[in-house]
Amino acid sequence: MFWKALKKSLYHPNKVKSLNKGHLLFALSLPCFYWRCKVQFLINLHCPCQMSEGAMAVVKPEMKSYIWLQTADGSIQQVEEEVAMFCPMICREVIQTGTGSSKNYAISLPQRVNPAILGLILDYCRFHQVPGRSNKERKTFDEKFIRMDTKRLCELTSAADSLQLKPLVDLTSRALARIIEGKTPEEIRETFHLPDDLTEEEKLEPLRNITDDPRIRLLNRLYARKRKELKEREKLKNVEVEEERVDDRSVDDLLSFINGGDGDTKGTRTNKNKKKNRRRKDQSKDSCLNNVNGNHNEEMHDLHSACHDGEGNNGLLASASTSSKLQDSAAVTFSPKLEFDDGDMDDDLDPAMKEELDREVEDFARRLNSVWPERMQELFQGRKLVPISLNGNSSMSRYTSLDQR
Amino acid sequence: MKMMMGSSFPEEVLEHVFSFIERDKDRNAISTVCQSWYEIERWSRRRVFVGNCYAVSPAILIKRFPDVRCLELKGKPHFADFNLVPEGWGAYVAPWIAAASSAYPWLEEIRLKRMVISDDTLELISKSFKNFKVLVLSSCEGFSTEGLAAIAANCRNLRELDLRESEVEDLNQSSGHWLSHFPDNYTSLVSLNIACLNSEVNFTALERLVGRCPNLRNLRLNRAVPLDKLAILLRRAPQLVELGTGEASDLRPDVFSNLLGAFSGCKELKSLSGFWEVAPGYLPGVYPICPRLTSLNLSYATTIQSSDLIKLVSQCQNLQKLWVLDYIEDLGLEVLAASCKDLRELRVFPSEPYGVEPNVLLTEQGLVSVSEGCPKLHSVLYFCRQMSNDALRTIARNRPNMTRFRLCIIEPRTPDYRTLQSLDGGFGAIVEHCKDLRRLSLSGLLTDRVFEYIGTYGKKLEMLSVAFAGDSDLGLHHVLSGCENLRKLEIRDCPFGDKALLANAAKLETMRSLWMSSCSVSFGACKLLGQKMPMLNVEVIDERGPPDSRPESCPVEKLYVYRTVSGPRFDMPGFVWTKDEDSALGLS
Repeated sequence: MFWKALKKSLYHPNKVKSLNKGHLLFALSLPCFYWRCKVQFLINLHCPCQMSEGAMAVVKPEMKSYIWLQTADGSIQQVEEEVAMFCPMICREVIQTGTGSSKNYAISLPQRVNPAILGLILDYCRFHQVPGRSNKERKTFDEKFIRMDTKRLCELTSAADSLQLKPLVDLTSRALARIIEGKTPEEIRETFHLPDDLTEEEKLEPLRNITDDPRIRLLNRLYARKRKELKEREKLKNVEVEEERVDDRSVDDLLSFINGGDGDTKGTRTNKNKKKNRRRKDQSKDSCLNNVNGNHNEEMHDLHSACHDGEGNNGLLASASTSSKLQDSAAVTFSPKLEFDDGDMDDDLDPAMKEELDREVEDFARRLNSVWPERMQELFQGRKLVPISLNGNSSMSRYTSLDQR
Repeated sequence: MKMMMGSSFPEEVLEHVFSFIERDKDRNAISTVCQSWYEIERWSRRRVFVGNCYAVSPAILIKRFPDVRCLELKGKPHFADFNLVPEGWGAYVAPWIAAASSAYPWLEEIRLKRMVISDDTLELISKSFKNFKVLVLSSCEGFSTEGLAAIAANCRNLRELDLRESEVEDLNQSSGHWLSHFPDNYTSLVSLNIACLNSEVNFTALERLVGRCPNLRNLRLNRAVPLDKLAILLRRAPQLVELGTGEASDLRPDVFSNLLGAFSGCKELKSLSGFWEVAPGYLPGVYPICPRLTSLNLSYATTIQSSDLIKLVSQCQNLQKLWVLDYIEDLGLEVLAASCKDLRELRVFPSEPYGVEPNVLLTEQGLVSVSEGCPKLHSVLYFCRQMSNDALRTIARNRPNMTRFRLCIIEPRTPDYRTLQSLDGGFGAIVEHCKDLRRLSLSGLLTDRVFEYIGTYGKKLEMLSVAFAGDSDLGLHHVLSGCENLRKLEIRDCPFGDKALLANAAKLETMRSLWMSSCSVSFGACKLLGQKMPMLNVEVIDERGPPDSRPESCPVEKLYVYRTVSGPRFDMPGFVWTKDEDSALGLS
């Protein structure tokens, strides 16, 4: 019954039946802001006892009435009543405090509403407060309305929220969501001018997609060798090994290997072959150890100091991976030419086997080298890095003829 | 620079903006933008997907996201479907539910895949979450109808109960009385999938349940529900959108006409499945709904042969998804290509996978026809016995929009049947032309070359399955170094060893997981990998006893490597070996 009366009254204000306080409460519970404002307007109209003196001047439906609004910068403007009342915050102010009726009693708008944004908001209200529009019309308007730069969109969202204009908050929020979708965190930061203030630990971002860090591999090799050394020494019970110093020594070893220079390297397996000095003559590429020496020092220094932080292994690796973040993804150039002093290690392979293994190593290296793009060389400042840990094991594993599913 | 979204942008509004951002990738992005966004995002995150239940612990999850409503977890690796993961390996959901029961009282949805869930846990779920709505157990095990009874009895707001392909025990053979545990005043069921249940279901209870749930959209019955009973259900629920039939072996005219009548009343039906042991004479009963069907799963219909399939399929002009046995043959696929122009997904399963000789006339030609005739086809799973590079190249050129391509040539290492060459070129064409390819399964005779192509072109590839392929470590190396978006790599019976694995150790931290079984990886390399990469769990699955009892060079049986932020897990069975097994070095 009330609803029918209300609808009638919207189009024929003079014909409405009397509305009472119960209806006021009902009106305030209506979900649709548009209707709520309208109802409140009418309640104003027909329940004069609830309003203060100052507000009386507002309610003259026949004549065009204005509501006075003041933005935070002090400027005051007058706005058509039905447009302004579309904002729940303004509506409430009018009803509860009676302000807005004149220039001296202008409604103070929240700080987030500056004059330019207010203009936009009022444009929105002016369009949507008209009752006759179709959903399609409203949607078309919204789609055009929302087209503005991101900064303005943010201001508009914020302002609409402070005025409790939910339909506009939804519209602008969705638009912002669409802007955010599909972007990387960096792009989002750029778009919205946000600080990059998360620590590395807090950033649970996926790890950078790097093919490999040659220094990790280098260190892997050396760790493996060191561990084997330890193992052998334990067996022989010759030397006391202090675990805590293992890592230090491997870095020292590393430095001495790089700076000292000739020799072979061994991979991670006990049956690995050794590369001989003579192989250097075979190489056609120009990976001089001098280059390696010169350019390695800085990094080795980093790694060296990192090694002293916390636990040896992890610290070392952690620093390696952090500095590896500086590099972009992809390739590593390496050649078998970087050789290390390998004098301690046993060499239990016969020469013929070794010859074959050496050839295979070289072949593998060549194939892998041809895969890597040239620019990685620049990144590593012309260094050719890291021995490949290879063994001659090219034999295929047993094939079981299991059905593939 | 002036702050656009600085202090003046209130948190509630930002939270409101975030409420319109739902994709996991976007949520992850916004959470790492800055401190304030991180905080707002974590408090407002309602939906979390954990692709590997061991990648993160319940405690970490709860600490990061205090108010989750929808939780999705995956457990065992994909190759568990092929019985490659031994019983007892893990993927127990109990710790997650125990933690969630106190931390997330408002949890509404739980979706699990390849996990082990007990009846006790099901009961805990039913009693802990007052607003519980959705339970999806996909390929899960460890529970019985007792657990289901608890769910039925206690979850007053349950909307979805979906047991797809899970293994469910029926303990007391009580003829499916668990269904009776739904209270009489329970009416909110929207989706029920019990197709995997082997035991009978109490039909009276089922009928009453279906009858009193007006929002029921999806009903997948198990084999034990005969066709005559199906008609009764259909008349009770004509609003059904998705239906899985039960068994229908003997053809009876009265049942048929009853069914025909019932089907014609279902104006909303769009998806059909089931069809176990269906007598072909019943098929005309579904002809009236064929034009509306968008999804048809005939992969269990072992009794329907080519001609009947053709008759059926030719009437489904709006079909988008078809799962079928290879009884459809090349001819049927030609008809499919001509009739179903809206087809998006095709799966052709083998009727006799262990047979030596082909039992049906299904060749590469069928797939070529469909690739020519169906412009929207983007997802394919195809079992066949012969393939050629030409066919693959044709398919690739026809369908550059392919996103999922899984080809299973039944006999391992089968070459191009025309040229007897490897299929490197054919698969190379697939990855080259299909630039949006996200998932690929290889088969046939393949050398390292195919991996070079994959590494070069497969830039969007996220999941790769390899078996009986390649010549050397170079193959694996190409994939690990080239495929930038690779998340899951599963390999079996390939000659890949330590070199490529160790050389690409860092890559493994950018992926969800790597599976290698029956390859050439040594335990030494596995230990090294585990020691060097603290963010990875390197699990050697080997039922032959301690790896140290075998020579260093002896390859491990199975290797499962996955990244994790929660360290080694505590529930490893005896046949899983990690770096910590090595006592000889004295390293703890």
